Amino acid sequence: MQPAPALSANGLVKYFGDKRAVDHVDILVPQGSIYGILGPNGAGKTTTLRMLLGIIDPDEGHRELLGTARPRSVGDRVGYLPEERGLYPGMKAREAIAFMGALRGLDWKTGRERADVMLEAAGLGASAYEKIKKLSKGMAQFVQLLGSIVHRPDLIVLDEPFSGLDPVNQGRLEDIILAERDRGATVLFSTHIMGHAERLCDRLAIIAGGKRRYEGSVDEARATLPMQAHYEPREDGGALAAKLPADAVRDNGGYRFAVPEGGMEALLQQLLDSGHGIAGLSLERPSLHDVFVALVGEETVERMEADSDAEQSA
Amino acid sequence: MMRFLRKAAVIARRDFLATVFTPAFLMFLLAPLFMLAFATVGGTGARMIADSGDESRTIVVIADAPLAAQLDAEDSRMRALFPEPVAPPPIEIRTPGRDPGAQARALIENESIEIVAVLFGGVDDPHILFAPDGERSANYLGALFENTVEAERAASFGGAIAVPERETIQRSAATISGRQATGFTALFVLFLLTLLLAGQTVSVLAEEKGNKVIEILAAAVPLETVFFGKLFGLFGVALLFVSFWGGIIAFGLSLMPDTGAALAALDPAIGFGPFLALAIVYFGMGYLLLGAVFLAVGAQATSMREIQMLSLPITFFQMAMFGFASAAAAAPGSALATAAELFPFSSPFAMAARGATDPALWPHAAAIAWQILWVSITIAIGARLFRKGVLKSGPSFFRSIGKYLRCGRGSKSA
Repeated sequence: MQPAPALSANGLVKYFGDKRAVDHVDILVPQGSIYGILGPNGAGKTTTLRMLLGIIDPDEGHRELLGTARPRSVGDRVGYLPEERGLYPGMKAREAIAFMGALRGLDWKTGRERADVMLEAAGLGASAYEKIKKLSKGMAQFVQLLGSIVHRPDLIVLDEPFSGLDPVNQGRLEDIILAERDRGATVLFSTHIMGHAERLCDRLAIIAGGKRRYEGSVDEARATLPMQAHYEPREDGGALAAKLPADAVRDNGGYRFAVPEGGMEALLQQLLDSGHGIAGLSLERPSLHDVFVALVGEETVERMEADSDAEQSA
Repeated sequence: MMRFLRKAAVIARRDFLATVFTPAFLMFLLAPLFMLAFATVGGTGARMIADSGDESRTIVVIADAPLAAQLDAEDSRMRALFPEPVAPPPIEIRTPGRDPGAQARALIENESIEIVAVLFGGVDDPHILFAPDGERSANYLGALFENTVEAERAASFGGAIAVPERETIQRSAATISGRQATGFTALFVLFLLTLLLAGQTVSVLAEEKGNKVIEILAAAVPLETVFFGKLFGLFGVALLFVSFWGGIIAFGLSLMPDTGAALAALDPAIGFGPFLALAIVYFGMGYLLLGAVFLAVGAQATSMREIQMLSLPITFFQMAMFGFASAAAAAPGSALATAAELFPFSSPFAMAARGATDPALWPHAAAIAWQILWVSITIAIGARLFRKGVLKSGPSFFRSIGKYLRCGRGSKSA
């Protein structure tokens, strides 16, 4: 028997004024998994997370968190890093972590002890007694992340955890997420950067325009598109294009096209027989990027990538 | 419930520490010093006039008709020497009873008229009995008697003049004016404290909204808990403030000589101990009632500018409650007083003033129960508004009202 999901939601709807910010979103997060919610900025990711956590109530639909329909009642077993980061600037780093733990029912003493250990492990041991206002933005963000997991929650929800971190700290964050999963926690995070989702997620949902466009594992996502073939002919003649599938496009001295449904054999045979030969051939799984383009459209993906570029250069 | 309280305590602790352990708090704590300095300078002069010019005071002469007539005539002559504001209190003539000494004592003890000094015993055995705050009046009676008798002796018979024997007595009961003054003082102090302290709650959320900590708070604990924690965190600050100054005042009073007599005149009807205890309870109630409203209103604001704009109507609201309660204190037992005692937001002030003039304890028990009910209602409604105001994205509450007023449509809470 499958264990109960850590989190499930059916048909979540949220209106802001007349606008439907979230439109019938379904999500199912298996226990002990790392789950990603992908989507461009303004897609409704944060609103969805807030509804799942019970910070706001959905206008329609039903959600269940750690086995209860009242998410606030299991608040102490949940850790949450909001998208809008913020700590009290006058608090010391370890105190801020203990404070966040105390809000989730952890006693202050344990909170401070764990804070020291976690800060040390994250390479911030020297800053344990520094006030938040003295830390860099990235460091403060890390302190907040540690604060949201200090009480060792069963479910960790991170809203855009990678944004604002430099590549070194992004790597550290990935390590922490994997370590938490190994501890037995379920991790749910939202992002608009595909690379992180691709590396970390067991499953993911893609949300755009308030609607869920896809739900499943990364491999399943890729399997929604056929394999891509890159073919370089030995003899590039005028008749070649007619022999290739209709979607073939010139690319990098050869042609790129989707592997035909029946497989490559028949096509290759035909190419050899007609004397075009094979100078190079590679078969590639479609990237998450391609899946995204197919699912949500070129325009949306471009917007997402622009968002993440703008962030990186900021 | 325990969980709720524990988490509210986490938030209250943070707010309390963040407020108290700052240099600015010292300024805040010592702010009343400035006020005291000005009040002392301005108050001394005013007090000198007020002491003798108090119209509710009376002095009494218990004497037979002939002596009374002479004293009356001399009084008219001497009184003309005083300018109006500092003239002695008016004299009333009473016929001697069987025991003029007891009669005099009874007059001063009388609670309904404020008699500060009594002359009795006739020409042969004159006595002046006076209340602790009636020393000037006693001096005047002494001078009046001596002048009268001297004029008499010059006119007819010789012999030594008996000098009135003076005696001061402690009032066992307080005077009406003293009690009303106590009531007003209590009212004013409570008003001032809530004005200073409850008003703080308006802007308390601005910090969290500004630095986004509200996101953490809102995610970790129900906003009702945040509301409760903030309210009580600042209440702790307010209590610290009150006990600091309460301690200083108590210490100051204990150093001053002869305060017992002065305090006796102010003795509230229900006694000092209960009165003080009630004042603290009413301060708590007033603070929580007004603080909850302001906290909820402040949570609707989206910027510091809006909060600054809000502080004016809020101060006016408090002034109105003060005015209402003081009108009630001036007319104890009237319909107005009952209204002020019943209306939740003026009730703590009006009831504190009532404690000074009315010895009954049960109305306080009823009022406190009534106020606790309203504190709960206010906190419940306030917390709900707070929840809406804090997490809402979209136009602010006030902008929506503005839009509503301009167009006559639109919803109040988008």
